[in-house]
Amino acid sequence: MSEGTKSTLYYIAALGVLAFGLSYAAVPLYRIFCQAYSFGGTTQQGHDAEKVEDMKTVKDKVIRVRFNADTAASMTWNFRPQQSEIKVHPGETALAFYTARNPMDRPVIGISTYNVVPFDAGQYFNKIQCFCFEEQMLNPHEEVHMPVFFYIDPEFVDDPKMQNVDMLTLSYTFFEAREGLKLPMPQFAR
Amino acid sequence: MASMTFGQKSFTPSPPQKGSFPIDHQNECKKFMLKYMLCLRENKSENSLCRDESRNYLECRMEKGLMAKEEWTKLGFSDAPEPKTT
Repeated sequence: MSEGTKSTLYYIAALGVLAFGLSYAAVPLYRIFCQAYSFGGTTQQGHDAEKVEDMKTVKDKVIRVRFNADTAASMTWNFRPQQSEIKVHPGETALAFYTARNPMDRPVIGISTYNVVPFDAGQYFNKIQCFCFEEQMLNPHEEVHMPVFFYIDPEFVDDPKMQNVDMLTLSYTFFEAREGLKLPMPQFAR
Repeated sequence: MASMTFGQKSFTPSPPQKGSFPIDHQNECKKFMLKYMLCLRENKSENSLCRDESRNYLECRMEKGLMAKEEWTKLGFSDAPEPKTT
């Protein structure tokens, strides 16, 4: 093989390795980019607590927030929302309740995740405090109420895509917390 | 979402700002919850008309140690006296 061919081959091989490496690097890089620019529905981490203090209620927009409750097939709790819907204004904090009852004779530990539709509106839905992502234990035959304290970001009204949106649905799903349970949870949750 | 095509929006849940509410096993604040529910029913589920009831519920939680004490302004209630702080 001549020197020219050899060096060409080395160049091609190097290009191949570079392309291979870049495709691996793309995964974390893309994630960082998405989080920094809230691209494609990912939300900014760490909502500002000061924002709640300063935000103004948008009185002329009413959003109906509907509540949905689900349990995984193997989860025995009786889990339901206390209200079917609440009418809120963007920028106004609101409280909502779910009730969970454990009909079993043994304590059951549950863990929940949630979803907001429409997806585009989900980025404006901010939870100040709720009961998701952390294990919640119910004693045998115990019934408790579980609150969700949230608000809809006033920037909702500035988004042209949200002009025709006047209803959001918040769905919680409870799973039984067991060894090796893999929930569709983001990395920062335990 | 089986196929993640570009432009396909999906929902990523985010953690709550102040974390999780501890469970009220003794149902100490249940009556405030019921008052709030009653208020919602009477006012056609309008949150703005039931702010006092929701504040009372949160105040109960704070008093019973079921919620970290926080200034009302930080919780979006700007027109109320401060709770008894530690």
